[in-house]
Amino acid sequence: MSVAVAKAKSNAARDVRARPHNLGFGLGLRPQHYRDILDNDPKVDWFEAISENYMVPGGQPLRMLEQIRERYPIVLHGVSMSIASTAPFEANYLKDLKSLADRFEPEFVSDHLCWTGVHGINLHDLLPVPYTREALDHVVARVQHVQDALQRPLALENVSSYVQYTHSEMSEWQFLSEMAQRTGCWLVLDVNNVFVSAFNHDFDAQEFLDGIPADRVVQFHLAGHEHATTHIIDTHDAMVCEEVWTLYRAAVERFGRVATIIERDDDIPPYDDLVAELSKARSMAEQVLAAPRKQAALS
Amino acid sequence: MTTKTAKRADVRAADAASRPSLADLQAEFQRAVLDGDEQILARLPANSRTTPDVLFGVYRNAYLGRLVEVARHEYPVLAAYLGDEIFNAELAAYYRAHPSRSPNARWAAYGLPDYLATAAIGADHPEVADLARLERALADAFDATDAPTLDLPALVEIAGASWDTLVFEPNPSAQLLELSSNAFAIWQAIKAETESPAAAKLGESQALFIWRQENSSRVRVMGSEEAMLWTEAVRGTTFGRLGELAATFDSLDAALRVAGYLKGWIETAALAAARQDASP
Repeated sequence: MSVAVAKAKSNAARDVRARPHNLGFGLGLRPQHYRDILDNDPKVDWFEAISENYMVPGGQPLRMLEQIRERYPIVLHGVSMSIASTAPFEANYLKDLKSLADRFEPEFVSDHLCWTGVHGINLHDLLPVPYTREALDHVVARVQHVQDALQRPLALENVSSYVQYTHSEMSEWQFLSEMAQRTGCWLVLDVNNVFVSAFNHDFDAQEFLDGIPADRVVQFHLAGHEHATTHIIDTHDAMVCEEVWTLYRAAVERFGRVATIIERDDDIPPYDDLVAELSKARSMAEQVLAAPRKQAALS
Repeated sequence: MTTKTAKRADVRAADAASRPSLADLQAEFQRAVLDGDEQILARLPANSRTTPDVLFGVYRNAYLGRLVEVARHEYPVLAAYLGDEIFNAELAAYYRAHPSRSPNARWAAYGLPDYLATAAIGADHPEVADLARLERALADAFDATDAPTLDLPALVEIAGASWDTLVFEPNPSAQLLELSSNAFAIWQAIKAETESPAAAKLGESQALFIWRQENSSRVRVMGSEEAMLWTEAVRGTTFGRLGELAATFDSLDAALRVAGYLKGWIETAALAAARQDASP
């Protein structure tokens, strides 16, 4: 059976609301590494591709993704869905995203719990949502709309934030939990983002983890950041730091065996360096999972 | 209304006033990033170490910085030609006038060539907008729709015994660009890391042919006769008529020259298809 046929069969019978498979340990797909991946077939379980990089008419990126998809599972991870914006979805965005997903059959499609602009403008940033009832109802309706439009499992990620709003009525984790419970959407837990936001807003990162429903998390992100003394900036341009590794251990204890990637967006290192960092995540998770777990007691 | 009820109503009104709707909050936030409006700051708590304006500053600083960096990747030669200071200032002015309306940050500076042509810098330095036009054309070619490549055996089969009635379909990535300055020579020098020639306006505009071959964008100078014939070919002019048009340039060996151009287009994968002209 060819890869393409196997891929089509495996997806044909899937319930769009069914929990995505655990893909194992992967990397964010970056153009700098296309040749390393295609020439060496490295032992990485899967890749997360930035959706917008491939929402183009044609050319090399789509061909590279085609070749990589023939060998590896992928997830499409977007940055411009703007799920919490009060502006209508950008005219062709969901149509183009659906076409891309139909072509590449990702395990699921993900984006962020954030907004990126209003009045037709895109600020190209993952902007924070006020944790209010009004915002929650708005996001829930938009998530349901996207799930209907894409007809695929959708996961949303917690962002790093630098401000919160005085009129918020609940915590970020309460908002994420209720959003996931009301819509059936999945969660990407960015462990670095939890750490960054916990520092920036003086909350306990463990309380965040404990507040997220254990059965909704389908992926972890790990990344680096920049410490600016009074706050932390999520730069994705450095290796994962020790504090984030510690929080990752706690996340594995809480959520169990969950697909994990290292996400690097700037100062992209040689491919082998990222594979080595990923091996650290793999060993750490296996070590935690082999020990008696808090997660087992919770479930 | 009793005093107590009135007080409760006042409290509710004050509470509502301090709690903006989601739409109003997002509009305020966006104004604060784009225009430096400060209204949003009153709605943001400090953290235990610093003030809301420092925290909000992360969003303000990231906005232009991120877009300028993306533009530097889209227009690398222009950025090298202008140097960081001028490039950053021109891009900041561009984004002030044209905030991004695209989900892809790469396309946020799509209008830069047109902007530079009408900006103050464009009046004295036409090569600046021309460099931007060239780099945008190369980026367009990179992303253009995929299409099959017409090769010689396929062309011979389609032509059969009727070459004169052949019409051609270009590869979607192919485009012709007319530059009024020596921007291409400057572009080549910067790419080769050699000394750039002094900027100059050309007496006669230069035609550049830009297309994608083997996943890479390519550019070459196209002579005026070939550029005219390519433009005609793209419009659906038959191969026979292209020969007649070439003869108006120079009747000697016109058919041979047109055949040579066609061979070049085939060899560089600039054509997607050919067919026999069905028009009467």
